[in-house]
Amino acid sequence: MFPALLLVTLPLSAALLMLLWPRFARSLHVTVALLSVPLAGYFLQQILLHGEQQWLLGGWSPLLAIRWQADSLSALLLLLSALLHLLVSGYALAVQARDRLPAAFWPLSSLLLASLQALWLARDLFNWYVCLELLGMVAVALVTLSGDKALKPALNYLLFSLFASLCYLLGVALLYAGYGALDLPLLAGQLEANRLNAMALLLITLGLMLKAACWPLHIWLPAAHAAAPAAVSALLSALVVKGPLFILYLVWTELAPQAFWLPASYLFALAALGALLFGGIAALRTPYGKSLVAYSTVAQLGYATLALAFVLRFNLPEFVAALWLFVLAHALAKAASFLAMGELQQTLGSKQVSALKGASQTMPLAMFAFAVAGGSLIGLPPSGGFLAKWALLLGLWQSQQYFWLLVLAVATLLAAAYVFRVVVLAFDRAEPTAPDFAPQRLPQYLALLPALAVWAMALFSMPLLTLLKQEL
Amino acid sequence: MLSFYLYLGTAVLLVGIGGLGLWRGPELLRRILALNVIGAGIFMLMVTLAYRPVMQGEPADSVLHALVLTGLVVAVSATAFALALLGRLLTRAD
Repeated sequence: MFPALLLVTLPLSAALLMLLWPRFARSLHVTVALLSVPLAGYFLQQILLHGEQQWLLGGWSPLLAIRWQADSLSALLLLLSALLHLLVSGYALAVQARDRLPAAFWPLSSLLLASLQALWLARDLFNWYVCLELLGMVAVALVTLSGDKALKPALNYLLFSLFASLCYLLGVALLYAGYGALDLPLLAGQLEANRLNAMALLLITLGLMLKAACWPLHIWLPAAHAAAPAAVSALLSALVVKGPLFILYLVWTELAPQAFWLPASYLFALAALGALLFGGIAALRTPYGKSLVAYSTVAQLGYATLALAFVLRFNLPEFVAALWLFVLAHALAKAASFLAMGELQQTLGSKQVSALKGASQTMPLAMFAFAVAGGSLIGLPPSGGFLAKWALLLGLWQSQQYFWLLVLAVATLLAAAYVFRVVVLAFDRAEPTAPDFAPQRLPQYLALLPALAVWAMALFSMPLLTLLKQEL
Repeated sequence: MLSFYLYLGTAVLLVGIGGLGLWRGPELLRRILALNVIGAGIFMLMVTLAYRPVMQGEPADSVLHALVLTGLVVAVSATAFALALLGRLLTRAD
């Protein structure tokens, strides 16, 4: 109980203290980021040793209390969020003077961490609503940090996010009308396949798919993620869109009656098909560097949606493993590519992809980080992206879905095309640089770190797979 | 019993009106207001649902009341945030 509680309350109380004493905001933020990682690591170890844990907050009866539950998946996601938060904090520290990052970044990103950690732990439909609202509003506030040009995409993001929350809330209210409970384990297996529940689940799914930017509900994402400062884009793409996906997975696998699984799997498969093809094509065509990375997020989320569709259709452990491996690999790779792309843009002074000409000579480290992360996005062995794709392929092969093998091949080619679009340009001959051209090295190394971590995932594939498969 | 259905119908109507306003747009202020109307509809639905036990002579469902209170706090702060963003957007556009 104690480490889990600290993981949420530490960043939350720190964020409030930062608002009271803005002078100490940075040091408080770094302290909390540093403390969270060993705490999350210790918590994961405890869960692996003693198995799943759960608490009813405040000691109320399950009908009133908010239930927190931590299985190994939750603990893994807690650790991932803490790690990426620490990394992005380091990056923000390194670039804040140059990029004029507003001081509001520190409390906001602490709040983001607190709401994410609470989301991974909660098993209560209404508590998830509160977490989602908090996450959405903090994310929008973080997008506005890059100044006036970000206001329009931020407001659009906010409107979509609020509408999505209201859809989710309406669905939850309809479920409560039927069963009088909000607690996930209490509701699990209770739902009958009637019209009211179909309506409620449809609303909940619509809201969550909007927030998770599943195609065709992704339209807010590219503008918002591209307009944000690089550190924020990395957090948003790597972690924030995964929160609603986690809820979607739990709602469908634990709550929804089996009779609805097949139609839902078709819906998710269709969304995945659109994301993989159109997300990839959009990434190939956009003239701006950060939009390219943002569209790549839309495309990569397609893999996770596809895995979810097949979890519902065939219920093989391979698909569950593939879903969470994609989430882990994408989080690391996307953090690396956004930080690298932000660094390239900031130093070379242009948002256009064409400005990256010769970047392999002018900024070899950042370009290397982008290419290495891109390798995982494509799914080159032995990266984390390959591991996830391999699990997905195994499952597809076992369930004889040959059409989807073809789709995966096309999606992989598209990913290769948009990554190589940048890499090829970077290996062109560089224009002569100005005499005072001096890129900062530390932020580039920080961008490289998660890119290397995603390749190291292959070394830990066995423990990761056993950890994820035992969820079934 | 009749009043229950009247309130339920009004709640559904509010959600519908808000949804229509959000769809039609296109001014951002109208969309923010439409979101509030949808929110009001949903809260009304929840309050009406909380009234159901009263018809059987039991006390009203206080869990739903608590949810509505939490939802109101969230809705007020979200609206304030959206309006502040809109205000900044409009002053910068001039």
